Amino acid sequence: MAIGLTLTYLTTKVPNFAYGSFVTIGIYSALSFYSLYGISPYGALPVAFLLGSLTSSGMYLGILRTLARRGSSLVALMIATLAIDIAFVGIFGIYSDYLYTAYRIIYATNFPQLPGDFSLYGVPGIAFAAPYSLALITLGLFALLTETKFGVAMRASIENPSLARVLGINVEFVYIFAWMLAGGLASMSGAFYSLWLPGGIDVGSKLIVEIFASSVLGGLGSIYGAALGGVIIGASEILVTTVGVDIFGSSVGIYQKGIPLVFMILTLLVLPQGLISLKVRKVVRSIPTLRAFRLLRYLHLRGD
Amino acid sequence: MLIPSVVLFGIDIVTFSVDLLIIYAIYLVVSLTLNLEAGFSGIPNFGKAMFVAGGAAIAGSVSGRLSAFVVGISYSGDYSNSAPVIINKLNAALSNNPILSIEILLLGVALAAGIGAVLGYLASYPAIRLREDYLGMLLLASAQFFQIFLRSYPPVIGGVQGIEVPDFFGWANTEPGARDIVILGVVTLFTVLVFVYFERVARSPLGRTLRAIRDNEVASRALGKDDVAIRKRVIVVASAVSGMAGALLTFYVESVGPDTWSRQDWTFPFWVIIILGGAGNNSGVAIGAFTYAFILKAVDKGKFLFQGVLPSTTFNYLQYLAFASLLIMVLALRPEGILPERSTLTLKRETVAGIIQTERYSPDKEAEDSSLKKAG
Repeated sequence: MAIGLTLTYLTTKVPNFAYGSFVTIGIYSALSFYSLYGISPYGALPVAFLLGSLTSSGMYLGILRTLARRGSSLVALMIATLAIDIAFVGIFGIYSDYLYTAYRIIYATNFPQLPGDFSLYGVPGIAFAAPYSLALITLGLFALLTETKFGVAMRASIENPSLARVLGINVEFVYIFAWMLAGGLASMSGAFYSLWLPGGIDVGSKLIVEIFASSVLGGLGSIYGAALGGVIIGASEILVTTVGVDIFGSSVGIYQKGIPLVFMILTLLVLPQGLISLKVRKVVRSIPTLRAFRLLRYLHLRGD
Repeated sequence: MLIPSVVLFGIDIVTFSVDLLIIYAIYLVVSLTLNLEAGFSGIPNFGKAMFVAGGAAIAGSVSGRLSAFVVGISYSGDYSNSAPVIINKLNAALSNNPILSIEILLLGVALAAGIGAVLGYLASYPAIRLREDYLGMLLLASAQFFQIFLRSYPPVIGGVQGIEVPDFFGWANTEPGARDIVILGVVTLFTVLVFVYFERVARSPLGRTLRAIRDNEVASRALGKDDVAIRKRVIVVASAVSGMAGALLTFYVESVGPDTWSRQDWTFPFWVIIILGGAGNNSGVAIGAFTYAFILKAVDKGKFLFQGVLPSTTFNYLQYLAFASLLIMVLALRPEGILPERSTLTLKRETVAGIIQTERYSPDKEAEDSSLKKAG
């Protein structure tokens, strides 16, 4: 999920508060498929991807770009994404009310995780499907960005839009593509999510803490960083909670959601560029040492 | 005095208006604080819900315990669990003792201001160091966590189900509806004070400094304004007032629960209000707040007319959708809001006009001008 947020942040430089709602799109397409046609959430993946990418690019084209062209400030764009998020909660609410009145699906606003998962050696399939697809998506993105011509064009438009435009790259198209990809990925992860955890109309909005934390931890400017951040946040949330419960008793479990927040605050205060900046910083830091070393050697030589 | 009752469309207009005005006042206060932060100082506070919730939670949880202690009602075990059992006894005791009620009420509001200020101070720590976008994300995430904290930590406000709060206006309820009118008086007084204070801040040199920092941080720093300290002060004051508003709301509705304080209901509305009314203009915010509160309450009442046709929750969702669309439309078509920000006048308008007049028509100046012309 964080990968997509980073992608949209890279292209428009606006933190997308509505991003979590794309996850909810996936969750609801999984729910509709399951409860109306009895299809497993895996079957909903392509539709989720399509719906997510369409809404996401629609949001970029219809609202954010329009506002940006009218000269809205950064804060105004942030408010707009917040409004879109709220609108999504409204839309999902109306949709679940509709599911209720039309199909008598009483649990539409809040439902447990969906069945329909396969099992592999007694372990639910999602435990394999989710990490492997994450790895696949990261690898795929890596290949796209480094190996293909379009990927290079994409990086160019992100790094320096005006220069890319001069070189004849259709920057607008690249941005729309990035948003489509981001929305699609988020929505797909929503379909996965529905297999593992309970869903509801504002699940996506609530997930935003983890998503932001992953992106910030990894470094908002880096796609690989986001994947890394996502894994660290997810793992630490589970790890700290289980270890904490062992040590301090079950009352610690409720603070699970605080962990990503703590990570986020620490990252912002200590390492605002995210983990991905570490490598660069190390090099920078080593320069004075190098100089001192040379100086010492120089003095030593002169002493001779 | 008997409170008249006027019924229109099956709705008691007097009760409705009193309720509307109380809610309006509380929304207005919180919007004014957000206007001070976002409109004047450029701090994108996307976590307003946290500060209001903080005030509401502390007021709700402390006032109940304290009054049980003072009145001398004993309860076994945790207060949150026994609150439903003893609340009637508490209310009876408090309604016979107006002075105690008012004392605890004031203490609750003061505590709420304190907790608001503390939360604001904590929030301001990263606020000074971060860029707008990171700060917005951080505040939004903090508010989300604060809500989770309230929900999952029962000792504060009883966890998921929330707690009931004793009625500190029971003494005023000599007849049905009188209590609400007294509350309206209190809340109105509070709102007027806050409005006057914030308006004075906006017109003071500090207000101009805030705008200077908002519009050009580097330049204002170069002119010797300590932007860090000023922003910190703004967040602390705004959060303290938000907390007080939360406390008053708690005392009005006599209960506090965690699910109220979502982003949809306690952060987003204030952004709608200040953008609609005009960021950086307190009178505009007053108009925006009234529009919002009126639609909110009218839909709340009106949705019962559609009972059976549409589920009542659908109206809440439609409201989210409508306000979100409204906000985006205002941002796109009239970003300055209903009443745009005006440059503040330090002197009265007449005085300024007088100065201009004397400048323009002073005989000395005219003579000077004509002599200049001759010379030229």
